[in-house]
Amino acid sequence: MSVGTGALGRRRVLPAPVTGQEFVLVGVIALLWVALAVSTPAFLTAGSIQPLLVATAPVALVGVGMTIVIVTGGIDVSVGGAIMVCSVLTAKALVEAEVNLGVAVLLSVAVGGVLGLVNGVLIAYGRVHAIIITFGTANLFMFLGLRIFGSGTVNGIPGTLAFFGRGPDGRTLGVPHAFGITVLITAAAWWYLRHTAGGRHFFAIGGDAQAARLAGVRVQRRVLLAYLITGLLVGLASCFVIAQGTSTLDQSVGSGKELAVIAAVVIGGTSIMGGRGSVLGTLLGALLVQSVASGVTQLGWRSQLSDLFVGLFIIVAVGADLLRARARRNR
Amino acid sequence: MRSRLALVIAVATTAALAVSGCTKKNDDSASGSGDKKTYKVAFVPKLQGVPYFEAMNAGGKAAAAALGNVEWLYQGPTQADAAAQADIVRSYIQQKVDALIVAPNDPDSMAPLLQQAKDAGIHVATADTDAPTSVREVFVNQATAEGIGQGLTDSLLKAMGGKGKYAIVSCGQTAENLNSWIKVQQAYTKEKYPDTTIVDVVYAGEDQAKATQMATDLMNAHPDLTGLVGECTSSAPGVAQAVKDAGKIGKVFTVGLGTPQAMKPYLTDKSSSAAILWDVENLGYLTAWAGAQIAEGKQFQATNKVSDKLNGITYDASSKMLLLGPALQITDQNVDQFNY
Repeated sequence: MSVGTGALGRRRVLPAPVTGQEFVLVGVIALLWVALAVSTPAFLTAGSIQPLLVATAPVALVGVGMTIVIVTGGIDVSVGGAIMVCSVLTAKALVEAEVNLGVAVLLSVAVGGVLGLVNGVLIAYGRVHAIIITFGTANLFMFLGLRIFGSGTVNGIPGTLAFFGRGPDGRTLGVPHAFGITVLITAAAWWYLRHTAGGRHFFAIGGDAQAARLAGVRVQRRVLLAYLITGLLVGLASCFVIAQGTSTLDQSVGSGKELAVIAAVVIGGTSIMGGRGSVLGTLLGALLVQSVASGVTQLGWRSQLSDLFVGLFIIVAVGADLLRARARRNR
Repeated sequence: MRSRLALVIAVATTAALAVSGCTKKNDDSASGSGDKKTYKVAFVPKLQGVPYFEAMNAGGKAAAAALGNVEWLYQGPTQADAAAQADIVRSYIQQKVDALIVAPNDPDSMAPLLQQAKDAGIHVATADTDAPTSVREVFVNQATAEGIGQGLTDSLLKAMGGKGKYAIVSCGQTAENLNSWIKVQQAYTKEKYPDTTIVDVVYAGEDQAKATQMATDLMNAHPDLTGLVGECTSSAPGVAQAVKDAGKIGKVFTVGLGTPQAMKPYLTDKSSSAAILWDVENLGYLTAWAGAQIAEGKQFQATNKVSDKLNGITYDASSKMLLLGPALQITDQNVDQFNY
């Protein structure tokens, strides 16, 4: 089953469990939080950190799937449209069929899975680059979502999903459920990507798909799986999105989320060229972006400054990745 | 099997595109050439599919049915995007409608297009949001900036007890109408409520979750904050939700520019004290009527009787502006009168 990871080779084959980029991110976030705590006394309080973690969760969760996709050398720009479809269907089910929490989550995850499968099949077997396919499906999903909205908002969404929300029902022992679940899934994905043969295959494909195929990796199946996982996570994240919104869902839901997710992945140190990356970094990237946004608001700075900072982070992260790649080549 | 599946999806997609293309063509060729002259009045909203503009559309349709000589056309972009809106405006210019009314996403970039429409012999107007530098013949205004800004301030300060600190969560940073209301709120608050300060104005775009998070951050940054304003239909429920989630109902008061059905749960649980709006269906009705007037080449009077419900609509000749009337205050008492 396992491909070339004998007890002897393991230490050399696997990269370090925590990369340099992740240390840097932890440092930057710590620095930022300390600076914010000093300048606005209310920042490091439960009432401020808990909502921040809740807001981080959907981007970080979809980011886990997006990291796997980008590691294989692909990309998925349809997640915003997919979030729209999942959340409008789920919101309608909550309002019209009054489904309970479990059914709502299952429905949303199932719908997300189907959408992910569509992407996966087209990309794995259609042999067109992922950005083209997902750009196409992004528009199809948006069309579908708008049709389901049917020229109106979904009003009067009940508090069924408050379990994932910002309010007191959304946390246990002070930990917001949405963030806790995201951390657990990230940890599981980290272990899977690092310590199973199947997980390593994603990296092999992103490094060199042809070589991976010759080494016996079922490339198409793996690629399909990457988009399927992303779809399933989009389904769960859509429940978080509904829970964080208001009792009304409008058609702006999901809009621009694909860029927020890709930004978190890239800032987290995953190489946009594929072959290298870590879900841990993505979680930290999402946390950094949300901390900056909250910090800018709490400091009373102009709202657009958070866009500036996120832009700078992306450029620095990609620049660092390119420098690392050059250093490796020259070695 | 696999390639067949891909093929089926590809074919289905193409077919869907082809069908939607055909529909457009049919609209094109259907020209109103009856015995009696009917005027094509086209309205391009900022964004299609939101309750606000759909309610305007319903009002426009009602006016067309009542007037008898108007064909009401309605199409807008699916996202509040100036470029997508410009494409729709161009297509109406191509179709040679009689009157073209726009609620511009970007007033400055819309101005040359309206000039182009005028050159093509089309009567042009704006509604909901003005393009003041353009050649539009009339602006159908829902309420004056003073009416809205003062309405928001008065209802918030009434809930806050006449003094305190509050913040504003706005939406698009370049939205002309939102910014003009904020200016009024700032000036009016300073003048009428001297013990009140506006601590911050933040911009959340059209994103509800972002508006909610920003409102949460504002409450954390200013522990003595007792008021929040949601300046548009996505941030009005957003600020109320933030107050509710933080368990601060009764401590932090909110008002906002929200549509009635979206605000209803928050008005009921008191996380929102009031929503300020106007009768949107009537605005649509007035828009269609104004379109018919300019298409027929009629002049507006100082006060106009539009329908039995819309009597005494004032027209200001110097600013070429029709005014729907004073702003409407929606509370838990009257929210059920509106079905949008």
